[in-house]
Amino acid sequence: VNAVEQNAVRVMVVDDHPMWREGVCRDLAAAGYDVVAATGEGRQAVRIAAAARPDVVVLDLQLPDVSGVEVINGLLQAVPGVQVLMLSASGEQQSVLDAVKAGATGYLLKSAGLSEFLDAVGRTAAGDTVFTPGLAGLVLGEFRRLAVEPVAGDGGAPKLTERETEVLRLVAKGLSYRQIAERLVLSHRTVQNHVQNTLGKLQLHNRVELTRYAIEKGLD
Amino acid sequence: MAQTGEQPSGLQAPLWRAIAVFRIAALVYVAILVIRNVGHYERPMLAWPVLAVTAAWTVVTTYAYANPRRRRWPLLVADLLITMGVMTSSVWIVGRAALEEGRPTLAVAWHVAPVIAWAVAGGRRWGIAAALLMGATDLAVRAHYDQAAFTGTVLLLLAAIAVGYLVRLAEASQARLQRAIELEAATRERERLARDIHDSVLQVLALVRRRGAGLGGEAGELARLAGEQEAALRKLVTARPAPAVEHVAEVDLVTLLDPYASSTVSIAAPAAAVRLPSSVADEVAAAVAAALDNVAKHCPPGTKVWVLVEDEPAQVTVSVRDDGCGIAPDRLTEAEAQGRLGVAQSIRGRIAQLRGTVRITSAPGEGTEVELAVPRAPIS
Repeated sequence: VNAVEQNAVRVMVVDDHPMWREGVCRDLAAAGYDVVAATGEGRQAVRIAAAARPDVVVLDLQLPDVSGVEVINGLLQAVPGVQVLMLSASGEQQSVLDAVKAGATGYLLKSAGLSEFLDAVGRTAAGDTVFTPGLAGLVLGEFRRLAVEPVAGDGGAPKLTERETEVLRLVAKGLSYRQIAERLVLSHRTVQNHVQNTLGKLQLHNRVELTRYAIEKGLD
Repeated sequence: MAQTGEQPSGLQAPLWRAIAVFRIAALVYVAILVIRNVGHYERPMLAWPVLAVTAAWTVVTTYAYANPRRRRWPLLVADLLITMGVMTSSVWIVGRAALEEGRPTLAVAWHVAPVIAWAVAGGRRWGIAAALLMGATDLAVRAHYDQAAFTGTVLLLLAAIAVGYLVRLAEASQARLQRAIELEAATRERERLARDIHDSVLQVLALVRRRGAGLGGEAGELARLAGEQEAALRKLVTARPAPAVEHVAEVDLVTLLDPYASSTVSIAAPAAAVRLPSSVADEVAAAVAAALDNVAKHCPPGTKVWVLVEDEPAQVTVSVRDDGCGIAPDRLTEAEAQGRLGVAQSIRGRIAQLRGTVRITSAPGEGTEVELAVPRAPIS
């Protein structure tokens, strides 16, 4: 038991709905996770994260005080390398895409089942990306939007390889990584890497854009 | 237009003020004309009391018409009759001879005010009626039927028509503004409700569903029901708002597909609107609906469906994939060849009309995937 506790993944739960928050904490504890903090406010989450040092943050995207993007930025600054799994009760929309670009690595609808949720937390803790079909559709759409958008500066728009597009499309069509691996004759790990790369490119592009924006503002 | 004064539109008040200003200016003009012409009148002493009546009535109407509740037929009829009375009195005061010489009546220009008042209060038709009555009185008083006299009446008519039309226009735009304001209020209320539902009901339903999912029997059934309601509510509160304009040339395809989302149907789409000509979007949405119907008809309940909308520069692709039983490829072509695959036929028909392509792939145990691709700018 001691060994398990020492190696247990440290999880912080951020959700403004008390019933839901308690439920999630209970489920995580029952599954062997170490719930190090739970709060309902974004600013407070950023403040206590530095001390609680979670490995994974289970974050409700719609918090009453600050936007998901702000919380994610704050968390990544407070605890470099922390993995953020977003949850939202509403569907995949711009806010989810923005959060992913800001650095969240996983996304799940709150309507997901318990086993699906625990699996997602496990995969997020392991550094894997957790995509819903809806999020894959959003990411695909974002790359297409960037491709046709007039490019500012020299960086150019990030592009997906053919394989990455193929994998992302299959994720968006609801295939599991295992099914995708079978269909494309790839290893499970390779499929996972492709999905992760798409996210990495989007996040990198986002950081470059933000830096460019900051420099432009600074020079003005 | 019959609701005179009850619901004064925003543009009515300035119009009534304009009439009052016109009446005062006309009174000044009448006074100047009386002073200049009084020497030629048949009964000059009577001109002053009549001028006093004109001035008094100008004051009365200025105050009376300022109040929306008094802008009713009694006042309007009195206005018309008193003005006609002042005008008719010219016959005795100015005298037939002077009038025929071309001396103006005691209500010249001032007599236009009630006509415009009628047009503002009752619209074009009542304006015309007042103009005809006033014009006829004017002609009768002057008993002088030359071109100038008729021109006066015609101008009176034109003014009534123009003002009546203006008022109708103002009321229509007022109504449109009102509708827009109501729509905005409704939208805001909807957003508030959505936030509330999102913050409370949705979360509880999701929780019930999750906690109950592991339990069997009745509890499991309750959890399943909660899940269904949660999906339905989520769809309701997150649906993209439909465009407020009625006849739009282009629509967002995703807003047409959103209603099909449920606990078993997931819809993946870009964050930005997927704009298509509305006729094309309607056909694509109908084809997707047919594909979803097909899944519901031929697959066991609970079969999951994933809809993916992709917006490419040259085409829009929509794929509908299910994890149902699937069909052997040879059986699919066979059924299609025999015309038995009604749904496939209807999908192909719709998409072919848009010069698009349909690809149906299926294998036993692997579900079925229908992929529709529609060119962005169909060559017509």
